[in-house]
Amino acid sequence: MMRWLHDIWFRIRALVARDRMERDLEDEVRFHIEMETRKLEAAGLAPDEALRRARLNFGGEDRFKEQTREAWGVGLLHDLGSDLRFAARQLLARPAFSGLAAVTLGLGIGGTVALFSVVHGLMLRPLPVEDEQSLVTFWSDFDWRGAEYDFVRQRAEAYDGIAAYSLDGYTLRTEAGSTLQTGTVSSAGLFDVLGVSAALGRTFRAGEDRPGAEPVVILSHGLWEREFGADPGVIGTRVDLEGRRTTVIGVMPRGFYFPNPESSVWTPLDLDPDTREYHGNGWLVLMGRVAEGVGPEQIQDDLTRVAAGLGERWDYPDAWDKTRNPHVVPIRDYLLGEVRPAVLLLLGAVGLVLLMACANVAALILTRTSDRTGEIAVRVTLGAGRARLARQIMTESVVLGVIAGGIGMGLAVAAFDVLVASLPVPASFGSTLALDWTALVASLSLAVGTGVVISLAPMRSLLGGRLSEGALRARSSSAGSTGRQRIQTGLVVGEVLLAVVLASGAALLVRTVQEIRAIDLGLEPAGVLAVDVLIPSDPTSADEVAQFHAALVEQVRGLPGVESAGLINRVPARDGGWQATLTLADRPDLEGDSRPNAFYRPVTSGTFSALGVEVIEGRGVEDADRAEGRRVAVVNETFARTMFPGESALGRIISSNGFTRADIEIVGVVRNVVIDDLVGPVPMAAYYPWSQTLRGSGYAVLVAKTSLEPVALAGPIRSLVRQLDSRAAVGRIETMDQVVDDAMAEPLRLRFFLALFSVLGIVLGSVGVYGVVSYSVQRRTPEFGIRLALGAAPGDLMATVVRAGMLPVAVGVVAGSVVALVASNVVAGFLFGVEPTDPTSLAAAAGTLFASGVIAALVPAWRASATDPGTAIRAR
Amino acid sequence: MTLLLLTEMTMGTESADMIRGTMDMLILKVLSLEPMHGWGITERIHQISEETLQVNQGSLYAALHRLTRQGWIDSDWRMTPNRRRARYYLLTRAGEKQLGAEREQWARLSHAVERILGLEAG
Repeated sequence: MMRWLHDIWFRIRALVARDRMERDLEDEVRFHIEMETRKLEAAGLAPDEALRRARLNFGGEDRFKEQTREAWGVGLLHDLGSDLRFAARQLLARPAFSGLAAVTLGLGIGGTVALFSVVHGLMLRPLPVEDEQSLVTFWSDFDWRGAEYDFVRQRAEAYDGIAAYSLDGYTLRTEAGSTLQTGTVSSAGLFDVLGVSAALGRTFRAGEDRPGAEPVVILSHGLWEREFGADPGVIGTRVDLEGRRTTVIGVMPRGFYFPNPESSVWTPLDLDPDTREYHGNGWLVLMGRVAEGVGPEQIQDDLTRVAAGLGERWDYPDAWDKTRNPHVVPIRDYLLGEVRPAVLLLLGAVGLVLLMACANVAALILTRTSDRTGEIAVRVTLGAGRARLARQIMTESVVLGVIAGGIGMGLAVAAFDVLVASLPVPASFGSTLALDWTALVASLSLAVGTGVVISLAPMRSLLGGRLSEGALRARSSSAGSTGRQRIQTGLVVGEVLLAVVLASGAALLVRTVQEIRAIDLGLEPAGVLAVDVLIPSDPTSADEVAQFHAALVEQVRGLPGVESAGLINRVPARDGGWQATLTLADRPDLEGDSRPNAFYRPVTSGTFSALGVEVIEGRGVEDADRAEGRRVAVVNETFARTMFPGESALGRIISSNGFTRADIEIVGVVRNVVIDDLVGPVPMAAYYPWSQTLRGSGYAVLVAKTSLEPVALAGPIRSLVRQLDSRAAVGRIETMDQVVDDAMAEPLRLRFFLALFSVLGIVLGSVGVYGVVSYSVQRRTPEFGIRLALGAAPGDLMATVVRAGMLPVAVGVVAGSVVALVASNVVAGFLFGVEPTDPTSLAAAAGTLFASGVIAALVPAWRASATDPGTAIRAR
Repeated sequence: MTLLLLTEMTMGTESADMIRGTMDMLILKVLSLEPMHGWGITERIHQISEETLQVNQGSLYAALHRLTRQGWIDSDWRMTPNRRRARYYLLTRAGEKQLGAEREQWARLSHAVERILGLEAG
C-alpha cells in the first residue's frame, strides 16, 4: 500500500516539478562525467582526452537521459504534450494537405457514424415493449375479420395471448378546436400482450372490446402533454372523440409507441358478432405472444392446425386464401419492415469510402514523409528512440483523425435527417432515430482508430529495419524509397478497386431509377395536391357528411388556379386499400371461389381529370350519378381486358357483396393507374360514384389540379375545411409528385447516397493517383532534366509519366470490375429492369475511374515536361 | 518475471546482455553498505566484482530513478568529501526487504543453473 502511494507521489512530482527534476538529472550527469574525467586524469590522460573518454564511457547522453525520464513513469503523458505541439506544427505547415486529409476522412467518419446510429436505432435498440423476442404477428396483414380473430384466439395454443389491432384516424375535439389524431383500435388485451402498463390510469379491461362497453380511450404521453397540458386530472374525464363522449382511462409512459410512433390514441374494438363488420371484410392485424418454451416447430404445427380450421369454417376465394402459407413474423421485422438490406448496403458503401479515405491519407502522408526521411534517419542515428518517433508519427495521424472525427460528427449532425428520410424506414420511425452518445462514442473511436490505421504504413516504411543504415543513402538518392513507392502504389490500386465497386453500384441504381421513371403510372402527377380530409361520422350523420363533401369539392373548384378537383378514397401510388369480390352477370362461370376481386375506388366527378386519368371508352364518373340514381361503375383496362377479352366492357352488369347488392352497370373504361406498387402489372380496379358507395364515410382524399404551385393550395383548402365544418380536420397534405417520388423512394434515395459515395470514391481515387504520380515525378525531376537537355520531346516525357501512373489505375480498374461482378448480387434486391451484372453500368464505372486517373496523372506529367533542365540538374 | 527483462550491461570488454534484475540487486547491495552517488556505485560494483562487471554508466541512472519511484531507495543532495555537491542514494526499509527477496531468488536461480551446468555427461 505504501509503495503504491509512493509510486503515485513520485509520478506526480515528475509531472508537476518537471523542471526541477530535469535540472537535478542534468546536475547528476554532469557530476558523474566530472568524476569520471578526474579519475581518468589521475590515471595519466590529458584533460581533453579524459573528458572525451568519460563522455564515451557514459554512452549517448541524450539517450540515457531519455531512458531515465522513462523511469520516472510519466514519459507518455509528458511526451504527449510535446508530440501534440509537434503534430500541430506539422499539420499547419501543410494546410492544403491537412485540409484535404481531414475533410476526406471526415466524410468517411461522418457517414459511418450517421449510418451506425441508424443501425443502432433500427436494429439494436429494443422496442418499447416487454420481451420483444416472443412477440409475433400473423400472416395476412390487415386482413383479419373480427370473427376470424375470435376463431384464431380460441384455437391457437402456442400463445400466452393474441391481440388484434388496426390503424385508424380520429378527430379529437377540444376547446382549442379539432385535431386529427392517428391512432390504433385494438382488442382489450393488446397491452397485456405487449406487456406494458399505463403510466397514469389503466389500460383496457377485458370486455371493453365487446358490445355494450362504454367508449374509452388511452392517450400517448405526447398527446397528453400537447393537448391536455400534462394534467393528471384528465383521467376519468370525457373528451369528444369522433363525435362521441369518450372517457380517458389512461396515459401511456413517455417513449412508448405502438405500432408506430405516430399513434397517439388507442381505443378498443367493438367485436360484436351481430354486426356485419364482424363478419365482413378483413382489416385487422393479429399479434401474439409466444408462450414460454414453445419452439418454432410447435408454432408451425399450431399454425397449420389453425389454418386448416379456418379453411373448414370459411370458404376463401383464391385471392385471399388464408389457409395458404400460414406463418408468423417477428414483431421487429413486421414493424420496421425490410430496412435492413438498404441500411447495410449504405453502411457498407460508406465503410468503403472511409477505407479509401484512410488509404488516401496514408498515401499522402507517405508522399510527404519522403521529404522527412533524411531528418528522421539522422534523428535515429543520433539516438532518438524509435518508439518515440513512432509515437510522434502516430500522434500526428491521430490528431488528424480526431480533427476529421470532429468534422465527421458535424457532417453527421447536419445530414442526419436527410439520411434518415432517404431510408426505407416507415416514415414515423424516422422520428425515433437520433444521434446520441453512442454516435459520439462511435465517432471518437473511429477517429482514433482511423488515426492509428493511417499511421501504420508510414510507420512501417519510416522505421523499417534498413532505415538507420540507409540513412545517408536515403538522403541523397531514391534508393531507399522503392519500398515506400510500392506501398503507395498498392494503396492506390486498392483505392481504385473500391471506387470501381462503389461507382458500378451507383450506376446500377441510376439505371434502375431511369427504368422506374419510365414506368407508365397512368396519371399526371404534376400540379396535383392530395389532401386527407376527416370528419366525424356515424350512420345518422350521413347526409351532413355528404353535404360537407359536396360543398368542399364545389368550393375548392372555385379557388383561383384550380383546374379540377374531386374526391377519392385512396391515393394512387400510395395507398393500397382493400378489394371487393364481384359477381359478373355475363360470367356465370366465375362463381363461388373463382369470383374476381377488384380494388375498390369511389370517386367523384373531377377526380379523373384532376389526376390526369384518361377515359378510353365510355365515360367517367359524373355529377349526374346520384345516390338515388342508377348504379354505375368505371373499370380499368386490366379489368376490361381480363373479364371481357376481345369485347367491350360497356353495358355489362356486375354486383358486389362488399358494399351494395344492387346491379351495377359498367359505363366506362379508364387507363390503368398504378395502385401501390409501381413495379409489376396493375391489378383490376373498379371506380364507383362517391355518392353511391361511400356516403357517410368520414375519410376522403381531396385531389386538386392547379396551374399554380400545388403546395400553395394547402392553406386555402385548410381554411375552407374549417369554415365548412368546425369538426372537420385536415390530415396529410402531399403533392402527387411527392407521392410518386416516395413510391420509388428506395432506389431513388439509395441512388442519391450511393452516387454521393461513389463520387467521393472517384475523387479519392484521383487524388491518390495524383499523389503517386507527382511523387514519382518529383523523384525523377533530375532525370527528366537530363533527358530534356539531351533533346527528349516534352510530349514523350509526359506520355512516359502518364503511362507509369496509369499502371496502378489499370490494375485497380480490372480488379475492381471483377470484384463488382462478384459482389453484384448485393445490390440485386434494389434493382428493377437492370441486371446486376449490367455491362453498361460496369463499363461506365470503369471508364469514369480510368478517365479521372488519366487526368490525375496528366497534371504532374505536364509539370514534368515543363521542367527546366538547368534547374533540375542543379537541384541534383 | 523480472528475470525476463533484459538491459545492457557490459562484462569486461565482452558485451553481454545481463539481467535487469541483477543490476537492481547489485545497486541495492552496494547501497546497503553505505549511501552513495551514481558514479560511486559504478566504481564500487567495478571494484567489488574484481573488475569483471562494469555497469553501463548511462543506464545506471534510469535504474536508480526507477528504484526511487518504486520506493526501494531514496536520495538527497549532499556534499562529497571533496566538497562537491552530489546526489546520494540510500536504501529504504522497503529496499532492504527487496534486497533480501532478490538474494533469495538469485540463490535459487544460480543453484538451478549450477545444477544444470554441473551435470556430467554419460
